[in-house]
Amino acid sequence: MSLPLLDPREAWKPLPASAWNADLARHLLRRAGWAARPEDVARAVQQGLPATLARLFPATPPPLDRPVFLARAEERIIELQGSRRSATTPEDRQAIDREMRELNRLAAAEFAFRWLQTAADPARSAYEKWVFFLSDVYVVAIDKVYRAENIYRHFDTLRVHGAGPAPALAKAVSRSPAMIDYLDLNRSSRRAPNENFARELFELFVLGEGNYTEDDIKQAARAFTGYRHNPRDGFRLVERETDRGEKIIFGRRGPFTGDQVIDLAFEQPAAATFLPREMARFYLTDSPPPADYFAPLGEAWRVSGYNLRELCLRFFGSLAFYHPAWRASFIKSPVHYYLGLVQDLGLDVIPLERSTLQPLRQMGQQMFQPPNVRGWVGGRLWINSSTLAARRQLAQTLCSPFDEQRLNADEKLDLEAARDAGRRRFTVDEERITAFTALGPQGIADRLCDFFLPGRVDDGYRAALVDYLSSARDAAAFEDRARRATIAVLQSPEYQLC
Amino acid sequence: MKPLLPSTRREFLRLGAKGVGLLAFSRFAPQFLVQSTLAAPRPEKDRRILVLVQLAGGNDGLNTVVPFDDPAYHSLRPTLALKEKDVLRLDDHLGLHPSLAAFHAMMQEGRLGIVQNVGYPNPNRSHFRSTEIWETASASDESLSSGWIGRYLDNACAGPDLAAGARSQDPEAIHINAEVPQSFGGALPHNTYGLTLGARAGRAGRDEVALLERIASRPSATLAAHASHESESANHAFLRATLMDSLVAERNIQRIIDQNRPEAAYPGGNFAQSLRNIAGLIAAGLSTRVYFVSLGGFDTHANQLNNHANLLRQLSEGLAAFQKDLTARGLDEQVLTMTFSEFGRRPNENESAGTDHGTAAPLFVMGKRIHGALHGTAPGLQLERNADIAFSTDFRSVYATVLDRWLETPADEILGARHERLGFLG
Repeated sequence: MSLPLLDPREAWKPLPASAWNADLARHLLRRAGWAARPEDVARAVQQGLPATLARLFPATPPPLDRPVFLARAEERIIELQGSRRSATTPEDRQAIDREMRELNRLAAAEFAFRWLQTAADPARSAYEKWVFFLSDVYVVAIDKVYRAENIYRHFDTLRVHGAGPAPALAKAVSRSPAMIDYLDLNRSSRRAPNENFARELFELFVLGEGNYTEDDIKQAARAFTGYRHNPRDGFRLVERETDRGEKIIFGRRGPFTGDQVIDLAFEQPAAATFLPREMARFYLTDSPPPADYFAPLGEAWRVSGYNLRELCLRFFGSLAFYHPAWRASFIKSPVHYYLGLVQDLGLDVIPLERSTLQPLRQMGQQMFQPPNVRGWVGGRLWINSSTLAARRQLAQTLCSPFDEQRLNADEKLDLEAARDAGRRRFTVDEERITAFTALGPQGIADRLCDFFLPGRVDDGYRAALVDYLSSARDAAAFEDRARRATIAVLQSPEYQLC
Repeated sequence: MKPLLPSTRREFLRLGAKGVGLLAFSRFAPQFLVQSTLAAPRPEKDRRILVLVQLAGGNDGLNTVVPFDDPAYHSLRPTLALKEKDVLRLDDHLGLHPSLAAFHAMMQEGRLGIVQNVGYPNPNRSHFRSTEIWETASASDESLSSGWIGRYLDNACAGPDLAAGARSQDPEAIHINAEVPQSFGGALPHNTYGLTLGARAGRAGRDEVALLERIASRPSATLAAHASHESESANHAFLRATLMDSLVAERNIQRIIDQNRPEAAYPGGNFAQSLRNIAGLIAAGLSTRVYFVSLGGFDTHANQLNNHANLLRQLSEGLAAFQKDLTARGLDEQVLTMTFSEFGRRPNENESAGTDHGTAAPLFVMGKRIHGALHGTAPGLQLERNADIAFSTDFRSVYATVLDRWLETPADEILGARHERLGFLG
């Protein structure tokens, strides 16, 4: 059933302007972002592909300001660290540790809400998804990083450098406090170099397995010594812990620094195809073709000085990206499923752990906590009875009136704050369903299928919806069925795909 | 709306004449169809079941199996130590916590065993990481992405069972909590099922479930004919099959639980009710091989005495009722239950009348086939100030024993190394 892929020499050429249409625009919007809202599809068709891509991937990405609570929590944590040092009893220390844990937990949740809300903005979806992809390459996990502030800064680093040259990004990541803690750079010194970061730099960040030797790792680890950070100064290089001696890496000899090792890695031929193939795995298919297939794309990327924005424009603008084998066939991650719902239904992110972060966890994706340094495995492993039940539950919750009775006082305050900031559409309300019923059974079925589902669904799918909708006894029952039909579509296998 | 999917093979065969058209599902046919077209499942008696009971938070081993005659125990725990007169004696040195009377009785009957001082080298004291180590059966310095049960299921999947058509629509493993335990993660996708979530979803919207069933089970022949270049992808077929399996499982399981008539009295509380449900599912003949249930609250940093006593009472009374129920229904030959916890607790108590994260602890194994009461050796308590006990039995030896002697599967392959077998299964 699988379609033959294009010849690699053809695959990475730009899609001709004449081929651009609404179907392809939907594919682009769902894969580069989360959903294809009709107004965004119309705009993309009208603007054409190159202008659309230039808009989705801006040369100067907008910042995501430090969340207010997170900033305050960080100040308080620094204060607490001071008093922990002077604490005399274990009880005092325990109380301080408890407060710091709680502050970090709340600050991480706040940042998660902020990021989700930003990523749900259709104007920013594609770039924030790109940041999320980069965080799935340059992986850190909060259970080891511990500080929410450092997770925020890591994402900021990925955002700031994500549209520039890849070597500069890699160098910035090597200085990211989250990465320094996550891959044990903080414990790597001249006397005892730790190989964790050097190994992942070659294996998972830049080159891929088989493109370096164990000796290259050992030598490179010596270059990444003395990398430290503290809350006040951020990154600093501690000279006496740093190995300035000569190293031999990839057959080259010299007193290389960490930055020079990164430059050496990007001089290796494998660097040109590694990240493009990771993109294919994240955006296109569970089983990307071998590295060779990406050689023409990689070569153009290398010539651009490994400019990441250039890579995005070429990748999402290529014939390969729009190949039929890679359409309506990819399983959405939990984050994609959630943000797709938020966009498709025109909702705001509910800033409550139980409504947002907990469902993500139940669907198998805990924010800032990938299972290990390889990141999320994804694909079919997202799906089992339990995670499908969690997806179904989420669709149902977002399409049902929001029950605020059960909330505690803190949660009510958080909701109040969101409303004050103009975010109040937390679930699909009665009025919208009532408006929806005016379309009639066939109209509702067509709209649900055409707006929400990737590809073209068959007549059997539509017929099931029309039958269900038209067998309502009266107006109230019809309204109820319009809501339930919407829920069933969002729960259906087809909506899990993009 | 009437449910569309058949929930039994007989029902399917009846519906089959009407041409539901489901068999067009290439290589991801829902399990219940695969089964219906192949040989019948293996006889009930072959089915050995493992029930895993997680004591989440880190159970205090020293106050569970108490070294009452060791002066070091009493000096480490001025307020928390249990007195000789209160414990339920196992021998001249060890006794059970007074809340474990039901366990004590089962030990007399030879249905409960204790593996003492279980842990692993270079212990990690983070809840998250240590739970991960236990669930993936990894060494403390390696990171595995699959769980030990998941690898067992991978192995069972690849084995001769599938060829013989022995798999059915029933979930391969069931967990009684919202999140899939890491233990269940395999290299292949598995039909696992979460009980609370599923049960709730089933109740909330039967109507849209029926519509969903209808969408998921529509004949794919129409789809094939209609599709131009957007042919049904393998992922699409996989999603449809998984959804149908879970809808069928959801309905079956809900019905079984509704109709469950236990033959023993269970105490109140969620934990015991979960065990009651598990007994019902086992009695109904599901082909599920692994159940996972969790009892939380063992992270007793402060005011431990009462909390711990309550938890251990829930544990022992719940499991005793479960075992009694299984026995009355003639199912006790088939079921082995074992407990685990991410770590034990610090031998010395802290300033808050609690204990901090520690290392090794005893675990319980329960079933008709248990041999011997005490396994392994008790921890030594001659320790430096605020030091932890050193484990004497590696938890992977417990797993190896269960995999090898109970689930009869190549344990060393699943665990990636050879681990010594223990004697608790004879």
